[in-house]
Amino acid sequence: MSHATHPAAGGPTCLWLAAAPLSLFLLLAWGLTHHALPWHVDASWVPSLGLSLGFRVDGLSAQMLALITGIGTWIFVYASGYLAHEPRRGRLLGVLLLFMLAMVGAVTADNLILLFLFWELTSITSFLLVGFNHEQAAARAAARQALLVTMGGGLALLGGLVLLGQMAGTWTLSGIIAAGPDLAADPRLPYALMLVLLGAFTKSAQFPFHFWLPNAMSAPTPVSAYLHSATMVKLGIYLMARLDPAFNDLLFWEAILIGTGTLTAVWAAVLALRERDLKRILAHSTVSALGTLTLLIGLPSPGAALAVVAFLFAHALYKAPLFMVAGNIDHATGTRSIDHLMGLRRAMPLTATAAVLAGLSMAGLPLSFGFVAKDVIAVAKAEAEVLTLVSYATVFVNAIAVAVAGVAAVRVFWGPPEAPRGQVHEVSWRMFVPPLAIVLLGIEFEFFPALADPLLLAAARSISPQLGVVELSAALDLDVLLSATGITAVVGLLFFLAWDRLHQALHRLYRLDERFGPAAWYEHLLHGLSRVAAWHTRRLQDGRLSSYLRQTLAALLLLGAFAWWAGDSRPLIGWDWPDQGWAWAVAALLIVAGAAAALLLRGRLAVLMASGLVGYGSAVWFLFAGAPDLAFTQFMVETALVVVAASVLPRYGPSSSRREPWRWANAALAAAAGIGTFLLLAHLQGLPPNAELAEWFGRTSLPEAHGRNVVNVIIVDFRALDTLGEIAVVAFSLLAVLPLLAGLKKRRAA
Amino acid sequence: MTPRSSLLTQSARPLYWILLAAAVWVLLRGHNEPGGGFIGGLLAVAGSSLVAITLDVRAACRLQPLAPLPLALSGVALAVLAGLFGAAAGLPFLTHRWTEVGVSTVMLFDIGVFCTVWGALTGYVYALLDDGEAAP
Repeated sequence: MSHATHPAAGGPTCLWLAAAPLSLFLLLAWGLTHHALPWHVDASWVPSLGLSLGFRVDGLSAQMLALITGIGTWIFVYASGYLAHEPRRGRLLGVLLLFMLAMVGAVTADNLILLFLFWELTSITSFLLVGFNHEQAAARAAARQALLVTMGGGLALLGGLVLLGQMAGTWTLSGIIAAGPDLAADPRLPYALMLVLLGAFTKSAQFPFHFWLPNAMSAPTPVSAYLHSATMVKLGIYLMARLDPAFNDLLFWEAILIGTGTLTAVWAAVLALRERDLKRILAHSTVSALGTLTLLIGLPSPGAALAVVAFLFAHALYKAPLFMVAGNIDHATGTRSIDHLMGLRRAMPLTATAAVLAGLSMAGLPLSFGFVAKDVIAVAKAEAEVLTLVSYATVFVNAIAVAVAGVAAVRVFWGPPEAPRGQVHEVSWRMFVPPLAIVLLGIEFEFFPALADPLLLAAARSISPQLGVVELSAALDLDVLLSATGITAVVGLLFFLAWDRLHQALHRLYRLDERFGPAAWYEHLLHGLSRVAAWHTRRLQDGRLSSYLRQTLAALLLLGAFAWWAGDSRPLIGWDWPDQGWAWAVAALLIVAGAAAALLLRGRLAVLMASGLVGYGSAVWFLFAGAPDLAFTQFMVETALVVVAASVLPRYGPSSSRREPWRWANAALAAAAGIGTFLLLAHLQGLPPNAELAEWFGRTSLPEAHGRNVVNVIIVDFRALDTLGEIAVVAFSLLAVLPLLAGLKKRRAA
Repeated sequence: MTPRSSLLTQSARPLYWILLAAAVWVLLRGHNEPGGGFIGGLLAVAGSSLVAITLDVRAACRLQPLAPLPLALSGVALAVLAGLFGAAAGLPFLTHRWTEVGVSTVMLFDIGVFCTVWGALTGYVYALLDDGEAAP
């Protein structure tokens, strides 16, 4: 949708919000130059549960922080330009800020639970940001999909983290990494790691969970550039890299990471050819890059750690600008379809410059940080002696990356200018400066690697502590240039030229993916879930009180029968004639009489009175069983209930003449429930009594709590917290009931 | 509704005050004799219900210190407040404190229970009774 024709919306531009990430970035830079890594912060949180607000910043965290705050600064500048015509920009920027803080927390948290909390907070903010254009059904579906996939993975992650914490006996990430090699013998380790990896794979869009990321492109472009290319999707990569030093000796870990990473990288590269929407093409190539990162983490060699951090860095530095370029094109022309875009370089020279520079880096060509990264990756792979298949896969993936770079940076800007589609013009400075700034930063690192070297090496050492002294060189190594870069560049060029033809040729494959791929499975699951929920609600909730009673009683009976069958104790029948047995007999008589009358009588009021008799009978029984407070309460409740119900009932008219279905089944169920309860109580009577608590309460009530009425002392003192909970429930139940009754009243009045 | 007995309508208010006095007496003696906030609260509910049924809901509501929902919520607040005294002294939340003259945070807590029960249950009763037909 074109924003170019909209009148400028009033209000503040919110440019000043960029000060928040900027100040954090400067703080980080100051810290890095003045204090040696790692930094610790530890504050007590819930000491009784062993939880602490533990934060730890090492090289890897510092690198992530630099990306989050550094790119974040430019994202906020960009967003203030991109959203200039969006009246709800305040809300979007607010959530974006919250997201940034959650990311900062997630990459610095050392406590497992803290990590999980921040992790989930990024998922929630991502949901809000993807669904920002909530009036579009597609945006809502994409937001829900992103939330369900990443939150489902988050649940698995929680389970994995708890397992890891229990196995290692510590709740800090650093503790688990230190204990890592000792955990290898634990039979629970594979399950724990599978769960953690599920969390990381869903977050970082690995196959088969990759489908949410391209769909999340319905978010506004600043969100796509920030969350879905530079930061949030890297969180899973971050966690895997963080845990890698502990587990990279395990064949299991290595195999899953290399396998999943390769599959993801290749499949996403193939899917990129499917798309015609520039943003979705970039999203698929992001998934592909995430797969490459997973693969690199799985490689056992120390050099791979350097490759991970270098590629992580390079990818953020070229992908975020490319997204911004796509957003600028969308903004200026009103479309993102590569079928309608051509020759924009004259109209948008500055955006075109940013695109070409970012494209160079993405293609891994000289004069870019991407070239450095590619060099390091090639070295790492040679070191690790990866399977030939993986090597071919990498060449293919890189070639597609070159082709995607060509599409995003060359195809839409060069070639004959399209027939004029209205006034295409360069976007405002707030939109072309950020991508230019970020790519120029990348180029600067290529010429002066000393600027980024210390940070990257520190990051690589936190993944692989045994990494020696290396230098990220940008020297034009002819071998590497010819073998790795040269081949991929040539193949990539071919892919680029044949882009449209490949799109046609692979059409059938895409049809298959649409019908049987993971995204289709997700849809089936979602529909299945709502169908099951609807069916089960229809079956169970028929709105008749007697049905609910029937279900409850039947379930209780089944449970009781199961306990009796599974337990080894036969029901004991304890029986002795109590003191004042005559009073107990009277109480029992009242109860039986009341119950029988309730069964036989027809009128509502009569049944009400009869059930009141049952209550009074129980109260009499309490009175003689040594519980005067209980008896007192029972009398009060019963009286109030009968009186109020008796004055309310007549307003509901005569009792309905509808015959209750299932009368005999109900009778049998009620009888069974009664007999079951009787057996249970008799059994309890027969158990050896444990008077320890009763004695303790009786002994301490007066001296410690200054009260002779033990029941009251228990209620208001010994178990006061329980009572507080109970009265809170009583009070809040009124809050819930008042609107219900008001609704009922309105319906009756109508 | 059926025509009201004038004896009942005339005696509803006096009966209410007698029941309320009994409720407060039961509440106050609760720590040593059978009684307490729950039972006292129920007695007060009985008194309020009597007025609500024989006269009308609005009259019953006027006789209470607060409307049902605020009364219930302030009861919970009183109980929390009683717990804070202990916390302020550096002890765990809800550790009770006694003074020389017999006034204690236990009493405050029990009054909180009393008010919650009184407010919440009268809220239910009034909502059930006041369905538009009962109002005179």
